[in-house]
Amino acid sequence: MTGLLAPFAYEYMVKAIVVSGLIGGVCAFLSCFITLKGWSLMGDALSHAVVPGVSLAWLLGLPFSVGAFVAGVLAALGMGWVKNNSRLREDAVIGVVFTSFFALGLLLLSLYPSNLNLRTIIFGNVLAISDPDILQVFVISALSTIVLGMKWRDLLLYCFDEGHARTLGMNTRFLHFLLLALLSATAVAALQTVGACLVVAMLVTPGATAYLLTDRFGKMLIIATITGVVCGVSGAYASYFLNGSTGGCIVVLQTLVFLVALVFAPKHGLLAARTQRRVAAIAS
Amino acid sequence: MHDTAPPPSIDVDDVTVAYNNGHIALRDVSFKLDAGTICALVGINGSGKSTLFKSIMGFLRPAKGGVRIAGLTVEAARRRQLVAYVPQSEEVDWTFPVSVWDVAMMGRYGHMNFMRIPRAEDKRVAQECLERVGMSGFKERQIGELSGGQKKRVFLARALAQRGRIMLLDEPFTGVDVQTESAIIDLLRDLRDAGHIILVSTHNLGSVPEFCDQVVLVNRTVLAFGPTEQVFTEDNLASAFGGVLRQFQFEQSTIQDHDGRTVKLLTDDERPLVFGKDGHLEYTDRQGREQLVKKREKEARA
Ligand SMILES: Nc1ncnc2c1ncn2[C@@H]1O[C@H](COP(=O)(O)OP(=O)(O)O)[C@@H](O)[C@H]1O
Ligand SMILES: [Mg+2]
Repeated sequence: MTGLLAPFAYEYMVKAIVVSGLIGGVCAFLSCFITLKGWSLMGDALSHAVVPGVSLAWLLGLPFSVGAFVAGVLAALGMGWVKNNSRLREDAVIGVVFTSFFALGLLLLSLYPSNLNLRTIIFGNVLAISDPDILQVFVISALSTIVLGMKWRDLLLYCFDEGHARTLGMNTRFLHFLLLALLSATAVAALQTVGACLVVAMLVTPGATAYLLTDRFGKMLIIATITGVVCGVSGAYASYFLNGSTGGCIVVLQTLVFLVALVFAPKHGLLAARTQRRVAAIAS
Repeated sequence: MHDTAPPPSIDVDDVTVAYNNGHIALRDVSFKLDAGTICALVGINGSGKSTLFKSIMGFLRPAKGGVRIAGLTVEAARRRQLVAYVPQSEEVDWTFPVSVWDVAMMGRYGHMNFMRIPRAEDKRVAQECLERVGMSGFKERQIGELSGGQKKRVFLARALAQRGRIMLLDEPFTGVDVQTESAIIDLLRDLRDAGHIILVSTHNLGSVPEFCDQVVLVNRTVLAFGPTEQVFTEDNLASAFGGVLRQFQFEQSTIQDHDGRTVKLLTDDERPLVFGKDGHLEYTDRQGREQLVKKREKEARA
């Protein structure tokens, strides 16, 4: 019994578990919008594009999250601008812009070593998270949760039917920017837990899992958030025993849940589809 | 609230619309609609009907000219919930996890508070609008699990729930069964009688004289605009549709004198199906069917 409670004896483990659960939940909530809007690639891009911001923030003496957030938003605006003013397809634009930002980030980090080393940024290290960084994560999570809690219906309509949102006189440009800002902010928060490489999993997988399990957006939000929190907490907890990467544990766990949903989902799962086909064959 | 609103009108003034790729989809389009009318927007595929709707809604910015709605700019009209727009079905993501009820409720967002929490009034209106289009029995259904006609009706309910006085419908009759079509037409008539402006695009010619008061005939510009009787002439339609209209010319067909006035013409706006006397099938062309013509002549004499 004491064996199972062992991780809680260490303050750094408790912190890691709490932070992972919190970030897992916030990212998962947002992931519902990201997957439905078709912005999964964008999430991947932004999480890499924030890297130069971390380095510049260090050089300027700002909190790293501020720099990362600004870099993320700049990258998103840059992608929008290139897309509207060239004939390139969106995936090509995303590819070009985010790799440029990421490369710039690598260069800056190698030229001007900061308190966050490259490994931490790319792979995350929630076990060594400092108290000021925990505070940043809490502030970002709280702000994102408040904004999402108040505006999720508008964002849902924007993702579903932008034309109708405009018909109703909503400011869709603002909603677009809001979603990008939330995406950048949560990508920054998640950077420390799972690292730039795996942030996109936190921002896509829970939403994809929930989408397989329900046809109602409200339920999708709840399922995704629960999945995100549970995987965050248990992933961090399990990493103590496995003695492996926390980010890796969390994302592998999310993937396992996704696979279970993919196969066993009551209506949209692979098994359900097969059963339905069989029933249809018998009935006819 | 609506009593104080200005009377609805749509004023399209010399609008030219170009897409980013340089394609000029509409050139010098002008027409004006006043309260209490159903106006058909008729033209072939690619003639710019959807483009015109999007410019009226302000989604596309005209390169030249402008649109005013009830004397206001399009943006101001949108903020006042004056215009409802039912998009073409292809433009909707049918796999989205929203139910029929959710969609009807979206029509009410403009009337709700900052957080869009529905009040009793919003629920009542959404319910009433779903009943009006006969979809209140499907509230919990995910929108992708509906037939083509049901999908159209749900989006119509959303437009109704918005309570705008101007309604734009892009191809509401494509992929819709005959009952739904006449149900929608009845609904539009009621709205017209209540003083709304309905602008509805279609390439189904047959139904237009049945329920439309006015017609805008388009092919990348306005070819004709006015009351249906004046616009729906053979010359105008020939110039709008060129060679793409299907024809059934009685002289060239297998119909003969003995069929008289018993000829029955069935159509779903595709090629018509024609039955002569005693319900025998008639063909568009006599050529290659000489045997049949002779046989019928013999029967008629006997
Ligand atoms: N987003 C777009 N970019 C470029 N050209 C377009 C776009 N949308 C439509 N078009 C072109 O504009 C013309 C009018 O299209 P549309 O308004 O959709 O016609 P309709 O609705 O009458 O079938 C067509 O030739 C079409 O190819
Ligand atoms: Mg069209």
